[in-house]
Amino acid sequence: MRELVKKLTEAFGPSGREDEIRNLILEEIKDHVDGYKVDKVGNILAWKGQGERKVLLDAHMDEIGVVVTNIDENGFLRIEPVGGVSPYTIFRKRIRFERVTGVVGIEGETPDEIEKNLSKMSFDKLYVDIGAKNREEAEKLAPIGSFGVYDSHFVEVSGRFVSKAMDDRIGCAVIVEVLKRVKNSDITLFASFSVQEEVGLVGASVVAYDIMPDEAIAVDVTDSADTPKAIKRHPMVLGKGPAIKVMDKASISDKNILEKLINTAEKKGIPYQMEVLIFGGTNAAVLQRTRYGIPSATVSIPTRYLHTPSEMIEPSDVEGTIELLASYLEGG
Amino acid sequence: MYLKELSEIPGVSGDEDKVRNFIRERIESKLDEVRNDRMGNLIGIKKGRKSNGRLLLVAHMDEVGLMVTKINDDGTLSFAPVGGVDPRVLPGKRVRVGEDKLGIVGYKAIHLQKSEEIKKPPSYENLRIYMGFSSKKEAEKEVEIGTYVSFLTKYTEENGRATGKAFDDRGGCSILMDIIDLNERYDFDVYFAFVVQEEVGLRGSAILMEQLHPDVALVLETTTAGDNPEIPEYQWATHLGDGPVITFAHRGYVADKRVFQVLIETAVKHGIPFQMKRRTAGGTDAGRLARRGRGVPAGVISIPARYIHSPLSIMDLGDYRNTFELVKRVVEDGKIMEEVSG
Repeated sequence: MRELVKKLTEAFGPSGREDEIRNLILEEIKDHVDGYKVDKVGNILAWKGQGERKVLLDAHMDEIGVVVTNIDENGFLRIEPVGGVSPYTIFRKRIRFERVTGVVGIEGETPDEIEKNLSKMSFDKLYVDIGAKNREEAEKLAPIGSFGVYDSHFVEVSGRFVSKAMDDRIGCAVIVEVLKRVKNSDITLFASFSVQEEVGLVGASVVAYDIMPDEAIAVDVTDSADTPKAIKRHPMVLGKGPAIKVMDKASISDKNILEKLINTAEKKGIPYQMEVLIFGGTNAAVLQRTRYGIPSATVSIPTRYLHTPSEMIEPSDVEGTIELLASYLEGG
Repeated sequence: MYLKELSEIPGVSGDEDKVRNFIRERIESKLDEVRNDRMGNLIGIKKGRKSNGRLLLVAHMDEVGLMVTKINDDGTLSFAPVGGVDPRVLPGKRVRVGEDKLGIVGYKAIHLQKSEEIKKPPSYENLRIYMGFSSKKEAEKEVEIGTYVSFLTKYTEENGRATGKAFDDRGGCSILMDIIDLNERYDFDVYFAFVVQEEVGLRGSAILMEQLHPDVALVLETTTAGDNPEIPEYQWATHLGDGPVITFAHRGYVADKRVFQVLIETAVKHGIPFQMKRRTAGGTDAGRLARRGRGVPAGVISIPARYIHSPLSIMDLGDYRNTFELVKRVVEDGKIMEEVSG
C-alpha cells in the first residue's frame, strides 16, 4: 500500500490535466475489474460483479494546482490557482510544471514592501521564477496555459505518510485496493475516479448518469483537528480509523448508508470515528443530485495540512477504510 | 455580421423574446430544424451528411440590465441589477424602461454633494430612475414592479472599432448567425443554441444536454479585455486587436484539454492570430454544460471587448472577423470531432 500511495500522490494531475494519473490508475485496476471506460469528460468508470444492487465508490483523481496566466518580458510567470490554493501556502514553495520547476516569489524591493505584501497576500503579488532569462525562453518552458502542482515528494515520518495530493489520491488508493480485495460480493461494484473535483465537482456531476447506482459513497479526505489550536469543534483525529461523515457544508449523508456503515464497522471490529465537518464538501453533494437522485454518503480519511505540499495521513486509517468498504460491499 | 442590430435590441436576462425573434427569423430557412425550448433557448439544427457526431455551438442571447423593484411616492423608480452591473456605470445614463419608455438614472448634482460624498461610489440604495412622473399614481399607469430596464445605446463604428451595448454576448450570437449563413453541411450534425439567462447564473444552458446530447460543445463568448492603462500588462486578461481569445480555465471549469488544443492547432494551421484568456475569473456556459447529463468536453472562444457589463463597450472588428474565421475553420476541419471520439 505504501508504494501505491507514493506512486499515486507523486503523479502529476491538476484539475483538467489528469492524463498521467488516469493512466496510472488504469494500469493498477485493469486486471482486477470486469470492465472499464473513460467517459466524455475524462472520468474513469470501472465495474466488477454481476449483482442486481449497484453500489458506486468515487474518489477524485485531480489535485489542486496553478495555471500560468501571464509571462513578463524578463521571463517571470504569473499564476492563478486551480482549486483551493492559498497564496500564503504557495509562497516560497516550488511548483512543478510538466517541463520545468519554478520557485514562487513575491513582489517588493524593500523588506517593508515585502512585509506589506505578505500581510495582504494575493496571487497578483506573486510570481514564479523558472530561471528563464527572458519571455521567449519562458514561453518555451511553461507557456501561458501551463498547469503546475506543488513540487513535493512522498516521505514517511514516524510511520505516517506525508505527500502532496493525499487529497484525493489516498481515496483513489483505497478504491484501487477495494477493487483488488472484493471477491465474494452479490452486488455490482462501480468505481469512479473522477476529474475536476477541486474546481467544482465537475466529473462526479455526470459520472453516475448512465449507471444510476442504488447508492454512492465518496471516499475523500477530511480535516484532522488534532494539531495545536486546531478547530475545536472538529472531532476527527489521525489514527482512530475511517471517518464516517454525517455532514459537511455541501451534503448530508444518507441515513441508511450511515447506519449500515456503522453496523459493518461494529460487527467486524473496525475502529472508526464519526465526522461532522463545518466547511468543505465532497463529490457526494453532486452524486446525490444526479438525475432522479442517488442515496449518497462519504467515508473520509483524516488528513492534516490539507491543500498544502505536505498532507499527512496515518496508514492504519487507510487500512481501516479499505477494510470497512470491502466488508460493507461484501454484505457486512 | 449582425452585431449592430443585435446590439441595439433590448434583451435582459429572462426577457430575450425580441432577440430570439430577430435571430429565429433570419436562421429558420437555413437550417433543418429550428425550435424554442421550454426555457426559451433557441435551438437550430443542421443535419450532417453522415450524422456521425454532434457538435454544439452556444452563445447567450441575454444581456445584463436592471429591473424596477419599487415605485416611489414621488414617481421615481427604485431598481435592482439583473446580472452583474456596477452601479458606478449608471448615473447620468439614458435607459429604456419596459417596451419603449425613456428614463434616466439621475444623480445628485455636484453642487449639492459634500466632498466626502463625491468620494463614495453610488449604490443601488441611492440611485433612482426618473421618467418625469410627479406621483406614484401617475407612474403606476406606465410602469409595474418587475418591469425590465435596459441600456439604451446606439451602435457605432469608427477606426475599425465598434461601440455599443450588449456585445456580451450578441457578439457570440452574431458569429453563430454568420456560421449559419455559410449554409454549409458537414459530416456531423451541428446544433446552434442561442441560450437565455446566462448572466444570472448559466441557467438556460442547464437544459441543453438532456435535449441535444452533444459529443463536444464550443461556447462563443464576448469577454473582458482588461487592457486598461492603469493595469500592468502582466495582469491583462486580453488585449483588443490580438485576435480571438482561447480559454484554458475559468471559474468552476478547466476547458477540455483536447478541445483547447484543437482550437490552438486550428488557429496556427490557418494563420489566424489568437490570444489566451489570461485571467481565470468569470465563468461561461461551458462550465454548466460539462456538469449536465452525461457531460461533454467543452471549450470557449471569445471576442475581447472593453468595458463589458456597462452601457458602452468597445470591440475590435478585426478580432470579430478573426473569431469568425477561427470558428469557421474549427467546424470545417472537423478535427474537434475526431479528437473527442478517439
